[in-house]
Amino acid sequence: MDSFILQTLNGISYSALLFLLASGFTLTFGLMRIVNMAHGAYYLFGGYVGLMVAKSTGSLALAMVSGGIASVIVGQIVDRLFIRRTGEDHLAQVLVTVGVAYIIGDVSLKTWGGDAQKLPLPLDLRGIWELPGGIIYPKFRVLLTLIGILTGIGLWFIYKRTQIGAAIRAGVDDREMVSATGIHVDRLFILISALASFLAGVSGVLGGAFLTVYPGAEWEILVFALVVVIVGGLGSLEGAMIGAVIVGLLDAYGRWLAPELSYFVLFGPMAILLLYRPRGLFGSVHIA
Amino acid sequence: MTNLKKVLALAALGLMLAWPFITGDYLTGLMTQILIFGLLALSADLLLGHAGLFSLCHASFFSVAAYTAAILQVRYQVPVEVSAICGVLSGTLLGLIFGLSVRTRGVYFILVTLAMGYVVWGIGYRWASFTGGDSGVTGVAAFSLFGFSFSSPKSYYFVVLFVVSALIAVYAHLTASPFGLALRGIKSSEPRMRSLGFNPAKHLYVAFVISSVMASIAGVLYVYFNKFVNPVSASLHVSVDSVLMAIVGGSGSLFGSFIGSAIVLWLRNWVSTFIELHLAVMGLVFIAVVLWAPGGLMGWVHKVTSKSSREMS
Repeated sequence: MDSFILQTLNGISYSALLFLLASGFTLTFGLMRIVNMAHGAYYLFGGYVGLMVAKSTGSLALAMVSGGIASVIVGQIVDRLFIRRTGEDHLAQVLVTVGVAYIIGDVSLKTWGGDAQKLPLPLDLRGIWELPGGIIYPKFRVLLTLIGILTGIGLWFIYKRTQIGAAIRAGVDDREMVSATGIHVDRLFILISALASFLAGVSGVLGGAFLTVYPGAEWEILVFALVVVIVGGLGSLEGAMIGAVIVGLLDAYGRWLAPELSYFVLFGPMAILLLYRPRGLFGSVHIA
Repeated sequence: MTNLKKVLALAALGLMLAWPFITGDYLTGLMTQILIFGLLALSADLLLGHAGLFSLCHASFFSVAAYTAAILQVRYQVPVEVSAICGVLSGTLLGLIFGLSVRTRGVYFILVTLAMGYVVWGIGYRWASFTGGDSGVTGVAAFSLFGFSFSSPKSYYFVVLFVVSALIAVYAHLTASPFGLALRGIKSSEPRMRSLGFNPAKHLYVAFVISSVMASIAGVLYVYFNKFVNPVSASLHVSVDSVLMAIVGGSGSLFGSFIGSAIVLWLRNWVSTFIELHLAVMGLVFIAVVLWAPGGLMGWVHKVTSKSSREMS
């Protein structure tokens, strides 16, 4: 029973990380119909920048901010130079952003080497907490879960209570009408895209502290985030939340019960969904 | 076919038959690879170029077929002919399952196939006790048929050339058939095809499975060429590369995939001789092709020739 609770907690903290990555992906898609396969590469790049900052300053907060900002800069350059030129062609977007991810991944490999590196945590975050019932749990994972929940609440507020959120929700249903009502979709997109890449960079720093950063991490985490988005429904924030919890928990139980076959558990929810609900739990019928 | 095209096709066939005799073992091996990966690209292009579905899981059929053939032969001493057939069958079986993805369209299809393909890679990588993990399965024997072993690069080249040519003929037939027309109809307007009484889902599923059979055959050809198989063959890179090859050569055409495969493989071999960052260079190729030559080489040739013929008339 104890290990079940422990694995559940592990799953929840992984969910928090996945949510940080998947929410950005799904919101940019909802607003602009852009599929950005380089999103995982922003995670990797942010993680490496955060790693350098954490090593030299010892501060996790500074590492998170700098990792996030580094990813925003890269993300804006990629948007301007490449993604904008692809228009609404998803095939072109996918190939171009995969190309960008190759470049970022290869340059990172050359710069930071091929070994898995762990982001050093400040001393007061390294310890463990003893939960009621004698379960021992790392403090950092508690912090990660809290960051995930707070980000979720923040995004939820933006999504449901502000003009920006209203525009995004409207964009998911009918993108042309949003521009027709005089909303500056382009300016809004810069904002949302920056937010998404910031979250990707921050999640890279947080992921680096417990999953380590290594070449190839960008694809591994991206696929998990994509399954979150597929399960939850493209463009939906609620979907990203629920999807992250489902995928995070399934992954934790899978790793615990059948470590060699843990990837199978990813296939399960997708297969069920494809059979019964091809657009995901909260997917809009308007999204092709 | 016009006379010019016939002459060109015959010249190409003659060159392919003479290739091992006019070049050495290295270039024969490279050409074998070009044919194998061209076949993989052609299989992905059946969905992309004709049905309008962008699949990112073709490395799965390719690698599952390769793994099955290798494991049966190396560990269970199953005869090469039988393990090759079992390889194709297992890749096809996976295609029957993954074919569920045709219930989705557009972005969902891309994301779902990418995730499914990654699951296969993850299993190949993690299930080390069965798949050999990172190092994969080594020591695969040369392909043989009725006691004759095709162990030299030259002889195996002709096996691959024969299989690929036969499949090209089948493919040409298939895409020119009413079935191929229906696929292109679905690509240009699914609602219209439905209102004409077609069942797009069924057509797409059949196309998906046929495409997985071709990818599986490519995987089996690959394992007897390479003599080992590891998780890299299941990776996203292989799936993405196959689509890139089809686009570079010209999506929707018969020989474009092979031209694309030749360009991409030759470029990679050439680039890796003087620069370590060859993945980054491939990334630049992706971007350049998509942004500046989306029709690929065939599209570009077509544009140039149709312009010149217009000027002539």
